[in-house]
Amino acid sequence: MQSTKKEQGNDMNRRQFLTAASALGATIALPAFSKQAAASTTVSVLLPPWSTLPKDMAGRFTSQTGFGLDNQTLGWDDIHAKIVTSMVAKTAPADATEVDWSWVGQFGTAQWYEPLDGKIDAALIADLPTAKIFTFDGKLMALPYNNDFRILIYNRAHLQQAGIKEAPKTPQELLDAARKIKAAKVIDYPIGLPFSATEGSSTAWYLLTKAFGGDLFDDKFEPLFVSPDSAGYKAMAFQMQALKEGLIDPASTGLKDVDIQELFKAGKITFDIAGWAGNIAVYSDASKSKVAKDVAAALMPSTTGKSRTFGLPGAVGIPVSAKNADAALAFAKWMLQPENQIESYLALGNLPTRTSVLEKLNADGKLYEGDKLLQQAAVVEPLFAQGTPGWYPQFSSAVATALNQAAKGQLTVDQAVQQIADGAKAAQQ
Amino acid sequence: MIHFEQMKPPPGTRHDAWLGLGFAIPIIVIMGGLVFVPLASTLWDSLFRIDPMRPGTPFVGLQNYTGFLTDPAIRQGWYNTAIYVVLAVILETVGGLGAALLLSRIKYGRRWLLAALVLPWCLPPVVNAIVWLWTYNPSYGLLNGVLRAMGLINENIVWFNSRSTALLLVAVVHVWRMMPLTAIILLAALQSIPQDLYEAAKLDGAGPIKCFRMITLPLIAGGLAIALSQSTVFALNLFDEAWVLAGSSLDTRTVIIQVYMSAFQNLHFSQGMALSVLTMIVSLIISALYVMRVYRETSYD
Repeated sequence: MQSTKKEQGNDMNRRQFLTAASALGATIALPAFSKQAAASTTVSVLLPPWSTLPKDMAGRFTSQTGFGLDNQTLGWDDIHAKIVTSMVAKTAPADATEVDWSWVGQFGTAQWYEPLDGKIDAALIADLPTAKIFTFDGKLMALPYNNDFRILIYNRAHLQQAGIKEAPKTPQELLDAARKIKAAKVIDYPIGLPFSATEGSSTAWYLLTKAFGGDLFDDKFEPLFVSPDSAGYKAMAFQMQALKEGLIDPASTGLKDVDIQELFKAGKITFDIAGWAGNIAVYSDASKSKVAKDVAAALMPSTTGKSRTFGLPGAVGIPVSAKNADAALAFAKWMLQPENQIESYLALGNLPTRTSVLEKLNADGKLYEGDKLLQQAAVVEPLFAQGTPGWYPQFSSAVATALNQAAKGQLTVDQAVQQIADGAKAAQQ
Repeated sequence: MIHFEQMKPPPGTRHDAWLGLGFAIPIIVIMGGLVFVPLASTLWDSLFRIDPMRPGTPFVGLQNYTGFLTDPAIRQGWYNTAIYVVLAVILETVGGLGAALLLSRIKYGRRWLLAALVLPWCLPPVVNAIVWLWTYNPSYGLLNGVLRAMGLINENIVWFNSRSTALLLVAVVHVWRMMPLTAIILLAALQSIPQDLYEAAKLDGAGPIKCFRMITLPLIAGGLAIALSQSTVFALNLFDEAWVLAGSSLDTRTVIIQVYMSAFQNLHFSQGMALSVLTMIVSLIISALYVMRVYRETSYD
């Protein structure tokens, strides 16, 4: 049976349609297939909540590097526990992980992280002043991406309501300002300081020790805070005095540093003494803070006339047992690209670690209280000049415990500093 | 004279033995792999110095154990744990028995009440602790709010500033979560008691207290021993509630928190192992004492 012209035409049309459909399918499928092929290597990344990349940044990482991204989010404490258990079991917790400044001694001594020397451009390292905090035994073990340092953050409106014209420059001025604010009934508890048995309480005391012009240890790691005329002793006495006078909420014995931040955002405290520098971006964001218009920053008060602070940066490191070390290195480098540092700051409040990026943000008017931040950033020093020791977590725990007990009235300042000194010696054994 | 045929096992016995062994193998493998081998390994490793920050793993004998005697934080941890155990065992047993007796007498809606009772037990411990963290919050917590509304206090109390109150409050959270398990164990034991015994006792003039003492208590002895043992073991292993409510505060720190801090925070693994071995031994001893004591006190001749 012969087919008619119409049928032939129909056949042609069908063939053409099928060909076109196939071509269209191929057009759509091929790029997808090639993307899939490029993203066949997926880098797993273990970071705390404040550093977990938003979806659009994660998507951009994949499109720019060709690697897929497996974002794993855990609490800061939990990340440490996961890294420890995984590394002891000789497996990698992820291809790239958070490395906090306070873990450098432990992880460096245990040799759990891949040295990055020679893998990073020297100009980039020069642009990263906090990289030296992540150098252990002469080797760079992680790349800092979160430039955390402490700065005094305060509520400008509270000061004005109490008739205070400028931010305090010394610890005594800070105490006097808090007394005036409380006396003027602006708020009940002007000073925000945590006293729970957590790391955030310890770091606030370290900062105040520097504010009183001293350090925690000498070059042989002998404690310098036991004597009543030492900076560490005075710092703790300052904290207990403020608590006793009702300038600090008595409930702070159960508060962590992040709780203090919530109180500041709610306008319930005037001074976030141990404020995270990057948090200014969050405090000044009206969608996240009730005091967005009133937040201001000042250099850390000091008894010596020279403001001091210390760095607590976060970094990305690559465990020695990582399966995709190359992809992990690509991720660490990608995090330091200027546009990504800027987006991480604007979206997550992670202050850039690159000096050039900080300056650019400030020049563009995107760095809230930028001049103050840059001034404070210029005097950032490591907590331990010799490098963070491996026994730091044990020492820090002893500090937090003693501070918590002193704040509850169970220890005097004398007893608390002595207990910390004993804890430091035990940790060093 | 014994015939050879008489010594042969009955037909099918060997097959049954192999079948029994086949059924037992999975549990032998699971218990061996997940309990006994790790236990033996932990016991052995606790005699060495295992610390990733130090080179080598030298044999140190009992040094990891004797070091605990001089550490005030660990002594405090044991003291706190002992208080938790005493509070938890008393409150869970009394409360659980009361709830079980009540439920055993309810005829209508028992299943709904039982479902409501087991709800806290179903919650993950961390979630449970977070709920109570809000309740105890000095600024906006329910506890202060209720007490103020009732006129019992004039200003908010920071509950965890008092050591004894803090211990009690942590224990309450743990009891709230674990009491349902005790109640279920005892309810099952109560339901297995024949009603004839109570009717006979009533005919003999026994009152409710005598019935409870002479019938109920002896016949739920097995369940009671299990309930007491599980209460003790869970209280000795208390971690989540104390950690969420007060972190590593010395006031509420338990032995298991100390294990976590030694092993995972300070990386002194062998010290953590030694402490966990001691905790296990204490658990076993107390549980064995309970079981023996309860059986002796309540068993019938």
